[in-house]
This record gives sequence, structure tokens and C-alpha cells, in this order.
Amino acid sequence: MGFISLYMFAVICLVLMAGYPVAFSLAGTALLFALFGQVTGTLDSAFLTALPNRIFGTMTNQTLIAVPLFVLMGVMLEKSKLAERLLEAMAQLFKNVKGGLGISVVIVGALLAASTGIVGATVVTMGLMSLPTMIKRGYSPAVATGTICATGTLGQIIPPSIALVLLGDVLSSAYQQAQLQMGIFNPKTISVGDLFAGALIPGLILVLLYITYIFITAVLKPELIPAYSESDEDNSNSSITHLLKELLPPLALIFSVLGSILTGIATSTEAAAVGAMGATLLALAYRQLSIQKLKEVVISTTEVTCMVFMILIGAAVFSLVFRGFGGDELIQNMFTALPGGVVTATLLVMLIIFLLGFILDFIEITFVVVPIVGPVLLAMGLDPIWLGIMIAINLQTSFLTPPFGFALFYLRGVAPKSVPTSAIYKGVIPFIVIQLFVLVLLSIWPEIATWLPNKIYQ
Amino acid sequence: MLKNSLRLVDSFTDVCGRSIAWLTLLMMVVMFISVVLRYLFQVGFVMLDESIVYMHSMVFMLGAAFTLKRGGHVRVDIFYNRFSDVGKAKVDFFGTLFLLLPVSIFIGIISWEYVASSWRILENSPKVDGIPAIFLLKSLIILMSSLLIIQGITELLRNFLILSGAKLDSQEKPDQSIGI
Repeated sequence: MGFISLYMFAVICLVLMAGYPVAFSLAGTALLFALFGQVTGTLDSAFLTALPNRIFGTMTNQTLIAVPLFVLMGVMLEKSKLAERLLEAMAQLFKNVKGGLGISVVIVGALLAASTGIVGATVVTMGLMSLPTMIKRGYSPAVATGTICATGTLGQIIPPSIALVLLGDVLSSAYQQAQLQMGIFNPKTISVGDLFAGALIPGLILVLLYITYIFITAVLKPELIPAYSESDEDNSNSSITHLLKELLPPLALIFSVLGSILTGIATSTEAAAVGAMGATLLALAYRQLSIQKLKEVVISTTEVTCMVFMILIGAAVFSLVFRGFGGDELIQNMFTALPGGVVTATLLVMLIIFLLGFILDFIEITFVVVPIVGPVLLAMGLDPIWLGIMIAINLQTSFLTPPFGFALFYLRGVAPKSVPTSAIYKGVIPFIVIQLFVLVLLSIWPEIATWLPNKIYQ
Repeated sequence: MLKNSLRLVDSFTDVCGRSIAWLTLLMMVVMFISVVLRYLFQVGFVMLDESIVYMHSMVFMLGAAFTLKRGGHVRVDIFYNRFSDVGKAKVDFFGTLFLLLPVSIFIGIISWEYVASSWRILENSPKVDGIPAIFLLKSLIILMSSLLIIQGITELLRNFLILSGAKLDSQEKPDQSIGI
């Protein structure tokens, strides 16, 4: 009986390829299967009556309130051109460093990505903002596009990212479930803050490696990344005070949001509200906020929020039907029967998530796949924070991998025709190697992810 | 006639969505005030905190149909982007008919008793000093499903018109927003 749930999963992947919105494809296909199960008597339909309560639970979930607030903060930084000015100032600051523009793109992109947490948004914004400049300064199209794509995906892992908020919420309930299964009736909890803390060091390692790669390329192959020359048009003010004025406020904002979460002063939801307010005030202070802009910001925020939460509701329908068919027991039995125990199981899950990353976005994988495999893996003794970080970096790699990686599509959409698709594919390869290297590092030394949260919260 | 009613529903959804959108800003302000009160003055108001939950829920429950109209729900667009306008209309027509509408109707039906029983006792907040209107909050589920059904039928007709070869002026075409 449980095998029907696997068919359902396969059919949903096919239906998704047609291109109808994911939220309704998930829920709709699951419902059609439920109808079939009802008729053939293979489905325990009592599961579905839990749906209204699941929806209400989503509505009143305190952690998830951080989502619209973080989105608001990110959209505000982007639409008010604060991110653009930050990039310009940063590029000025690094202009005498080899590969300075590329390095600024990585830093600003990482910060912007972290606050919106949506790969598409960051890649599109950074692509529009920096690709023309990079090409004008003589960067090879491959290096320029590779840098932008890779940077865009950093938003999955660098806190405060929405992806980690969602993943933290799902993992904490998976962890509870796993501990109950193991007979621990006084279960430990993990919070979004734990996950943020866990992601910090691996995220910084990634940023550093990206920067190192750009720097080394600039030194060894100046034909790919030429040095800055004074003849480049330069009408912007580059005095130190001007740069500080441009750089400090947005940086202070992002770091204070992150800091207040990590030090435990504020919950991620509270910090999100303060961050959004700070971004609004900054936009006002820089005289970048008109009523028209504000309108655009709130509408964008509403759209992204609705998109996320509809997928959550769609995934709730899917997971109830999946359970109704006995799918979770099936998965559990499959994993415990695997030779090699937890190592093979983890490898298998990581491979599946990597492949699913080609067709599904972070949100869908978090809500659909993690609730199914999470409790099983955690019950086998994995550390929830380590698992979360591995999933995040794994997906990030998946989004970068040709030919299906999401980031590549988004950049293709905004890159000028003169940039061939093959250049984008070639450009991301070094970054994929960096990603895989960090995944291996994390597997050998899980402490890279788990040390900081343990240190902070003990 | 048909086109006029399409336009009517579209503008209704649009007005709803555009008004709802401002709640994101209001909720930011209220949450900020609540944080300031808590950390600087050590006072908290349950009603203030609960109002954030109400606003947050209203945004995504009532904004779902608006997002649908603007094409803001994420798609797996590897192939979809390469389809012709007619191909896209086919996907949207059948998707609306077999996926969106059944889901919206199902959510409405299965939640009816859940919401009705909350209305019968005029369910209150579980907290003292809370907003005494949990039954209204729960009603959002029915509202979301109704708005999605109304907008869903509109999308169905719109795509039917495209498939039957009618020329739609830009007003009646689905909005193409890239989101952020």
C-alpha cells in the first residue's frame, strides 16, 4: 500500500514539469490520488481532516512571521537602490585590490542574498546591477556570470536567510518526532537561532573561498580579470568619508539583525521586524522612498509571502495524503533496511535532494522532502543542525549545477545576448568545486557547523 | 459581456490585494513597537502581539488570489517558458480546472465544520487579554478558498478565451510580474 505514495511523488514531479504553479500542482495531484485511494479503499482519509488545523497552525506559527518581515527588508534594500549603492561603494573601496569588483560583488551579493533568501531574486538583481559593469571592465563573461550565480545562491546559507528560517521550523518538529520515536520523552529543541549560528562559519568559509578564487584568478590570469585602470570612467565620489557614509549604515543594519539573533537578545521574528524597520528608515534617510516605491515594496512583499505560504499549504495537503498511504512508514523501513546504516542513508538523501534541486526550489524541498526524511535520519542519530547545514549547502550546489540549476536560468534571463550560455556553464564550475569541497569538509569535521551553536547556547 | 465580468473580478481581486499589501508595512511597525516596548520598557501587550498574527495571516490568506492573478506563484518553468502563448494557456486552463479549483473547493469544504464550530462558541483567544476573535481568524480559511475559487474561475475563462482564439487586450491578459 505504501508504494502508492512513491508513485504519487513521481507523478507530482511530472506534473510540476508542465509548469503550473507549484503550490497547486502539489496539493491538486495529491488530492487526485486521495480520491483514487478513497475509491479503492487504500487510503486512510481520516488524515485529511487534519488539514484545517494544519492551515491554522501555519497562520499562528510565530517563527514563520519572520518570513514577510525578512522579505520586506530585502525588497526594501533592493528597491530603494541601497544595495546598488552599497555595491558601488564597495567596488570603490576595493578598486586597488586585484579582482576588487568581483570581490565586492561576492560580499554585497552575499549580504543581499542573505536578507532576501531567494535565489532568483538575488541572481536577477545582482545580474542587472553588476554584470554590465563587470563586462565593461573587461571581466571574462564566464568569470563574471559564474561569480554572480554562485553569490546568488549564498542566500541559502548565510544568515539571516529565509531559507534557514523555514528549514529551522521544519527541522525542529522533525527533531521532536525523532526523539519521541527514540523514546526520549523530554526532547531537546532546536531553534532558528541555532541554525543561524550553525550556518555562520560554513557560510563564511564559502565566501572566503569564493573571494580567494577570484583573487587568485586575477593574479594568475589577468586576461580573465583585468586590473582596475584609472581610464575607467569614474565620476563617483571616492573620498573615505563618502564611502563610509554609503557603506556603514546598511552593513550595520544587517550585522545588528544577525547579531541580535545570534546573541539571543531577540528572536528571529523580532530581529526581522527591527531589520525591516531599519531598512525603511535608511531608505527614507537616503531620500529613496516615495509613495510609489513603497507601494511596489509592499506588493512585492505580499506576492513573495503568498507564494511561500501557498506552497506550505500545498505541501501540507501532500504530506497528509502521503502519510494516509503509509508513505512515511515505507521510507522509514527502507532506510533502516539499507546496508551501511546512517552513512548510506545520509548519502542517499543528499543525492536525492541534489537531484530534486533541479526541479524544486528550496521552499518546496524544505516543506515536502525534509518532513519525510528528516525524522528518520535524525532518529538514526544525526545532529539536526549539521543535517540542516548539509541540506542547505547541498541545495545551493544543486542550484548552480548545469544544465538544470535554477541560478543559471535566472541569470540567463537577464544576461545580455552577447554572453553565451556555455560561458555561464563554464563560469560556475570552479564554484561547484568549492561547494563540493566544503561539503566534504563538513562531513569530515561536523564541528564546523555544530561548534558555534553549542558554544553560544550552553 | 464575458470580458466585462472578467475585468470586474480582476479589479476586485486587484483592489483586495493592493489594500491587503499595506498590512505588511503595518505589521512591521506594530512588531517594531512591540519589540521596543518589551526591551526598553519591559511591558508587553498580548493584544498587540496577537494583532501581528492576524495581520500576517490576512496577508497570505487574502493575498493568495491576488498573487495568482499577478502570476506570482512560483512555477517550474524549464519548459513552460518555451511554450507558445497557446501552450501556456493550455497548461493554465487544465491546471486551473484539475488542480487549483479542486484544491480550493476541497479546502473550503473540509474546513467548513472546523470554522463553523468555532463560530458556534464564538471562540476566544487562549490567552487572557487576547483578541476575542479566533473564530474570525479561522474564517480566513473559508475566505481564502472563496477568493481562490472566484479568481480561479476567472483564470479558467480567460485561458478558455485565449484557446478559442479571442483577442484579449492587454487589460485582460494575466499580469506578468517578475516578483522581486
